[in-house]
Order: sequence, then structure tokens, then C-alpha cells
Amino acid sequence: MNGLAFDPLLPWPVIGTLAVLALLVALWSVWQGLRGWLWRGAAGLAVAAALAGPALESGIRNKLSDIVILLDDRSASQSLPGRAAQTDAAVDELTRQLTALPDTEIRRITVADDPDGTLTGAALTRALAAEPQGRVAGVIAVTDGLAHDASMVPATAPAPVHVLLTGQETDWDRRLVIEEAPAYGLIGQPVTIRLRIEDQGAVPDSVAQTPARLRIMLDGEETRSLDLPPGVTLDLPVVPKHAGQNVVSISFQAPQADVPELTDRNNAAAVQIQGVRDRLRVLLVSGAPHPGERTWRNLLKSDANVDLIHFTILRPPDKMDAIPVEELSLIAFPTQELFMQRIRDFDLIIFDRYRVRGILLPQYYDNIRRYVEEGGAILVSAGPEMSSVESLNLSPLGAILPARPTGRIYDQPFLPRLTEEGSRHPVTSDLPGAPVEGAERSWGRWLRMSEVIPGPRAQVVLSGADDAPLLLLGRVGKGRVAMLTSDQVWLWGRGFEGGGPQLELLRRIAHWSMKEPDLEEEALLADVGPGLAVTITRRTMDVSAGPVRITHPDGKSEEIPLTEAGPGRFTAHWTAPGPGLYRLAEGEIERVLALGPAAPLEFEETVASGAALGPLAEATRGGVLRLSEGVPALRTVREGRPAHGQGIDRPWIAITPREAASVSGMTHRPLLPGWAWLVLIAGLAISGWLAEGRGRLRGSA
Amino acid sequence: MRPWLLFSLLILWVTAVSAQEEPDPRLVRAADEVALAYVITGDAEVDAASEAGLRGLSQVLTARTTVEPGEPIGIDPDRDDLSLLTFLYWPVTGTQAPPSPQAYARLNHFLRSGGMILFDTRDGDIAGLGGPDGTAALQALAAPLDIPPLAPVPQDHVLTRSFYLLRNFPGRYLDSDVWAEAPPAGAEAAEGAPFRNLNDGVSPVLIGGNAWAEAWAVDDNGLPMFSVGAGFEGERQREMAYRFGVNLIMYVLTGNYKSDQVHVPALLDRLREEEEVVQ
Repeated sequence: MNGLAFDPLLPWPVIGTLAVLALLVALWSVWQGLRGWLWRGAAGLAVAAALAGPALESGIRNKLSDIVILLDDRSASQSLPGRAAQTDAAVDELTRQLTALPDTEIRRITVADDPDGTLTGAALTRALAAEPQGRVAGVIAVTDGLAHDASMVPATAPAPVHVLLTGQETDWDRRLVIEEAPAYGLIGQPVTIRLRIEDQGAVPDSVAQTPARLRIMLDGEETRSLDLPPGVTLDLPVVPKHAGQNVVSISFQAPQADVPELTDRNNAAAVQIQGVRDRLRVLLVSGAPHPGERTWRNLLKSDANVDLIHFTILRPPDKMDAIPVEELSLIAFPTQELFMQRIRDFDLIIFDRYRVRGILLPQYYDNIRRYVEEGGAILVSAGPEMSSVESLNLSPLGAILPARPTGRIYDQPFLPRLTEEGSRHPVTSDLPGAPVEGAERSWGRWLRMSEVIPGPRAQVVLSGADDAPLLLLGRVGKGRVAMLTSDQVWLWGRGFEGGGPQLELLRRIAHWSMKEPDLEEEALLADVGPGLAVTITRRTMDVSAGPVRITHPDGKSEEIPLTEAGPGRFTAHWTAPGPGLYRLAEGEIERVLALGPAAPLEFEETVASGAALGPLAEATRGGVLRLSEGVPALRTVREGRPAHGQGIDRPWIAITPREAASVSGMTHRPLLPGWAWLVLIAGLAISGWLAEGRGRLRGSA
Repeated sequence: MRPWLLFSLLILWVTAVSAQEEPDPRLVRAADEVALAYVITGDAEVDAASEAGLRGLSQVLTARTTVEPGEPIGIDPDRDDLSLLTFLYWPVTGTQAPPSPQAYARLNHFLRSGGMILFDTRDGDIAGLGGPDGTAALQALAAPLDIPPLAPVPQDHVLTRSFYLLRNFPGRYLDSDVWAEAPPAGAEAAEGAPFRNLNDGVSPVLIGGNAWAEAWAVDDNGLPMFSVGAGFEGERQREMAYRFGVNLIMYVLTGNYKSDQVHVPALLDRLREEEEVVQ
């Protein structure tokens, strides 16, 4: 900060002219052969120099200390056996060595777990940005090198970056890698999970040769197991079985070896596949055109998820007129195709006021019965024909219907009411406007229904006149059967006496038949809220529900009591201690709940590696060293020199002292005081005069 | 004197309450039996023709189709609850007093919730000739109703094939247009189907002047009450009138069912294809 400064008394051109004049005078003197030319020229230049006002400037400097960033990684992957102790020892030793260096400060940065993994890169960038570039003398990171934000690692740093890796030379790990997993899948259609087994680190030869035995579980039930050698990609077909979350867990046993693998926590993964239903196909068979038919059509056609195939018997076989076929717009009912060949394509068959009048052959009814027993669904919306000799109950289908008619028809207005079971059943619970004691307004009435005797296993959820069953739900084999003993639900749509929620009721009946999970009467639901908070809801037809048993990923189990939140609904709030695969069970219902990522991010890779931080170390002439070879010695080197190397007993790493200083002030001193200039100029002029005169100097010149 | 007065008041109150509580048995029967209904205009001759016409149509429906309507009923829009009905035949007379505002509110609810009114101006012989016809009376009656934009029934309307294949809709008269809810703009190209995919909402009104009830009307012996056309041609026209009636009731009850049936073969084909893909 020292230097010469000028403070000219006259403008620079004037001073320059003066200097040129002085030189001209000196040249003229030489030409004239004057002996004092040197003195004259020097005197002129001295005048010019005096006018330029030369001054000495100097700063006041304070030396600044060097900063060394010491980063220690305390993420979960650093908790593997031995690593924490290694980290502690290295940090202690380095701190001791750094404190011993003069004028050196330590900045400690601790990287902890983040939901996104270990963010070493971001921590480094932040730490470097927080310090003055000129003072950073070195960065030392004590880590396993497994950064999950490699793209955030700075490209370079003003000082050497050293990476000290924890772990041992012999560390190895075998892990499961899910390369590709679909988030959604159609129910019943296979989807593909692509996965492989990967070996990392110093894998023992005995292990490297052996394949891993994969166990694949769907919703907690073992589906298959297979051997997969490491490095081979496997396309695993999985069939989502139901709507909602299907949890596929894939795992393998830790391989046996003298040195065990680092962790078995990356030997398993849980993939969640949301089961989605394909378009539902509904076959609606109306026995005769009637006012309620358009209600069904409005419901099923407004549902974008339903393909409706509708047949109405417009003309029964026994009514023939002489009108030629080409003047009719009637087509034959393709019964053979619908009820024999295609029947399994339908998710639901609705018989809407269907009367048995010789159109369907008895074997068709047998086939429909088989279809239901194998998982199909039928819904019977019966008019008064059910109480007649043309009742479906008298066909072979009658055996699976949830009720049989007595033959009596109630021809009186009645108000549909929820039964005790109905208030708990999801099909009817919470229907808007349901009649309650003492309420002014409720649903409109219906005017006609058939009396039936419910079967032993049928659930009666709505009752009508004289509390006779109005809506019955039943299960047959794997299938479902619903029966509405009145055809006048359309009166609700017409607004008779205020009407009622007819579309919602019919929608729920139809979708319950098709096993919509939201309408299952026995269900264990888990809503995952923010974080790991879970709301557990148990829906049941029982009056009470016991505690939910939760099995943790580590096999530990706990019981959570449920409180009643409404008829047939019991809930509990619970927060999971950590991510993983939990198994919930209440009574006979079990459900697998996967919380958090497919596999814990921290344990995806565990073998220490300098891959993420290596380029930065190389760019700054720093080193990537293993702590298993000892904590390195600390030296200082000049900037631009290699900053690591092998010492006699152990490796060394170096920091580069930056000699940084701050300038706190500035002094400005003229080179010569005014009188000194005067003496100088006068002296030179006199010397010239003396030289040209007869002075002493003449002899010597 | 006083006990008698109290007693009569009590009786009045009880009947009033029960009248409000219990639905009209005629209407209950109409709901149960899909009975066809007509509006009582006050003109005895017209009302008799309406009743006879609907009876004739009911008989044809019962004889030929699965729809078996009960006895037709006459409706006074000022008094009767329409929510139990599906179809209303309304002959326009020009002498009928317009219904009350409450009745119009009920009629509008009826139209909105899926009911249908067939307005018959019964002037198919004289309409459009410049003479006095039913237009003014129809306008006066129907103005307070929520009626969507109308258009003449196009040749591909589901009404032309809901049971019989029809080219026109004759009644006692042959030629006047029948108007229904206009198809929405751009409906023409829907899905490349040969027929327009008219919304499943059935047109809430049909308007025409072909005096259908008179063509359908039969007396107690089952004989036609009014002459239609002349000779064999006339009988053919009466048959066509019945076919229109059948199509009309099918349209009222099944909506666009027949229009959708065009898609059924395609749907079944798709099932077949998907099956092949899965296997």
C-alpha cells in the first residue's frame, strides 16, 4: 500500500512545458558548449518536479486470521457402526491441530439429515458464501461422501478442499435398486417394476458369485420369490388387486460373509401402486319402459367411468302384430352373447323391473348365478312383478337373491327409513336429508313396495311400509347382490313431496355392488397427513371396534384404541415414529401402510465414496483421503502448491495461509518540504553558474 | 248451534289435513300404472276427445308393447300435483283460462324433472294458411313455461325410431311440423355416429297441430270416434297415428335409449377387442 503520489500545483501541461523548456535550454547549452549545461537542465527539471508536488503515500495494515471450514457429516448414513467414532476422532484431532496454527479460525459446519437426504453440497456452498473469499485457507469435510445433492457441490473454492472419508477399506454392501415403478395401475392388469441388485465396495468373492433370493409381497402376503444375480435388471410383473394403495414390498436376506455387509436397510423397498379401476361396464336390463327407467339412464350415463349397455324389452314375445319387421325399429335382444359369452365382461348387471317372460333361457339364469358367485354383481330393482308368478325369485336366480317375496304388495304411501344396520352401512349412512325424529322436512314418500322375507345373511339397510325391508344387500360367494323392493325411487327425482337423494342412493348401491373400496362396510382406512401423522378409521357394521394393532417395520407392535366418531365409524390419530412399512390390523382386517420413501434415502448407498466431492477436491488441489489410514497431519503450504501428500508415518493435508489484511488508514507525506525544493533548485542554479564562471569547479570539469 | 258449528269446523279441518297428507288416489294410480294424462280444458267436447284418444292409445300400447298403461286421467293444473306423472297431453283450445302462477310453477318443475307435455293445437288442417289458428292461444298458454329453443323434429330424431320407424307424425291431420327442443349447435358430428347424439335429456315439450287424440280416440266399443282421411288411405293414416303415439310414449319413458343402441354393437366389439388384448 506504499507508493508515490503527485499533487501538482499547476496543470500538468504547464509542468510538462516547463520540463521540455528545461531540456531545450540544456540542449542549447550543449550546442553552445556551455560547461554548466548539466546544472542548468537539472535546475529546470527540479522546478518542474517541485511544481508536480510528489508525495509519499502509505496505508495502515492489520493482518487478518485465516479461516478453515471444518464440515462434519452427522447424517443417518454416518451412524453405521464405527463411523461416528471415526468422525469424532478426526474432528477432535483436526481441531487440535488447527487451533495450534497461529491466526487460524475454525468454522464448524454440521450436516444433519434432511428429508431430501444429506445435503453436503448445499451446506458447503452456504459456508463458502458466508466467509470472505480472501480469508478461506482450507475446507476439510469429514463425511462418508454420500451427498444427495451432487449438483449443488460448488465447482471450485478459493482454498484446498479436503475430503476425509469415514468407513473401512473392506466395506461392502449389497442393495436393492428400484429403477422404475409405476405409481398407478389398472386393477387386474399387470404392471412392471424394474429392479436390480447392486453390489458396492469390496464385495467378498463368496458373495459376488451368489444371487440374492428376492421375496415379493403384495399387501403383506407373500406372492413369489426368485433368485436374482447382482447387476441383472429384472422386469417384475405385479398385478394390483384392489382399488387404492397396493403395497408391493420386495426384499432379500443379507448375504452371509465373514465381513457382514454395511447395512441390510437397503435390502428392501416398498413400492406403492395406486390401483385404478378400468371403465366399469354395466348391463341394464329393463323389463318394460317405465318412469324410473330414465332415472337409471341419467345416473349411469352421467357417470364418465361407466360404459352402459342398456336393453329394454319393448315388445314381449307374446305380443305380435302384423306390422312388417322393416317398419319396426326393434332389434333382437342378444341374450346368448350377453348372458353366456360376454357375461364376465360386466361389472354389474341391473335387472330393472324385469319379469321372467321366457326371453332368458334357464341356463342363462344359471350362468348369471355362477357369474355372481365368481365375483360378479347383480342389482334387482323390483316392481310389483316380483310378487307375481313372473318373479325373478322363481327363476334359478332366486337362490342367490337376498330375499323372497311373500306375494303381498303394500299399496300405500310410506317413508323410506334407515334401519339400525343402514345407519352404519356406507351405502346409506349420511344420505342427505335422512328422516330423523322430530325433523320438519325429510324425504318424500314412495307409494308402492313388495313385501319380502329377507334371507338369513342379507343386510336390510332401508325399510319401508310397516318397517318391511326396502333395500337389501347380500353377498354370494365372491359376488354381491342388491335388491330394492320398490320401483318408485324415481319419485324422489321428480320431487314428489320434496323428493330425496335418489341419484346418490342409486350410485352408492351400484358402486357398492362393484366393490368400490369407499363403500366397503368393513374397512380399515389410513389417511396419511402431513409428516407421518396418520388418521386411522375403522368402518364396521359391528357396534364396537377393538384397538388397532400396529406392527412396526422392526417387528415391534403397539395397540391404539379407537373412539367412536359416528355410527359404524371409529377413528384414532397416530403419528408414526419413522418411515417404513407398517401393518395395521383390527379384527380380521389387515392393511399395509407404507410411509415415507420407497427405501430410506440415507441407506440407499452406504459405501463411502469420494465421487460427489472428489471433483471439487481435485479442482482445488485438495485430497480425498480415507480416515481408516489414520487422521492426516496438517501443514501449511503456499497458494498454488499441491496441498496433500504422503508423509513418513501418515498422509498430510495442507491449508494455504492467505496473508489477508485490512487497511484501516492512509498517510500522505510530501517527498520534500518547500524550502528543500528551494535549496535544491537554488543549489543547482548556483552550481551551473559557478561551473560556467571561474569557480573551483571549472578546473575539475 | 254452537256445537254443530264446532263439529263442522272440525270435520273441515280433518278433511283439509288428510287431503294434504294423503296423495290423490287417482295420481297414485297414475304413478303405479304409468297412466297417460291430459289437461282438462273445460271444453267438454275436447276433453272427451282427449280421454278417448289416450284410452285408444293405451289400448294400442297394451296390445303391442310391454307398456300397459291404466285408464287415462284428466288433470287440472291448478289443483293436481304433477310430480307423479310422466306424460301430459295438452290440447290447445283458445277458450281455456290460463292456469294460475302456482300451476305454472308446478308445470315448470314437472318439465325440469323429466316430465313431458305434448301441446296439440289441433289445427293441422288450417294452420299456416293465414286464417285464424291455434298459434295465438298456444303462445298465451305456453309463454310462462320454461321452454328451451325449439326446432322442427329432424329426420334423425330418436322419435322417428323409438319403436316403429317413422317418417312423419300424422294424427287426424297429416302435414304440420312437429317441434321439439332444438339440438345443440355442433351436435351433428358427435362421434361419427349415423345419428346425432342428442343429449339424454328428453325434449320437455313437443308441439304440433295434428289433432292426435282425435285420431287415437275410440269409444266404449273400441271403434274409432273420428274419421281420419278417406277409405284405406285414412285407415293407414290412423295406424301411423297410433305408431306415432307408441313412439312418443317410448320416447317419454326410455329417453334416448334407441339412440344409444346404435353404439351397442361398437361397445360389444370393444369388449371383444380388449379380451383379445388381455389374453
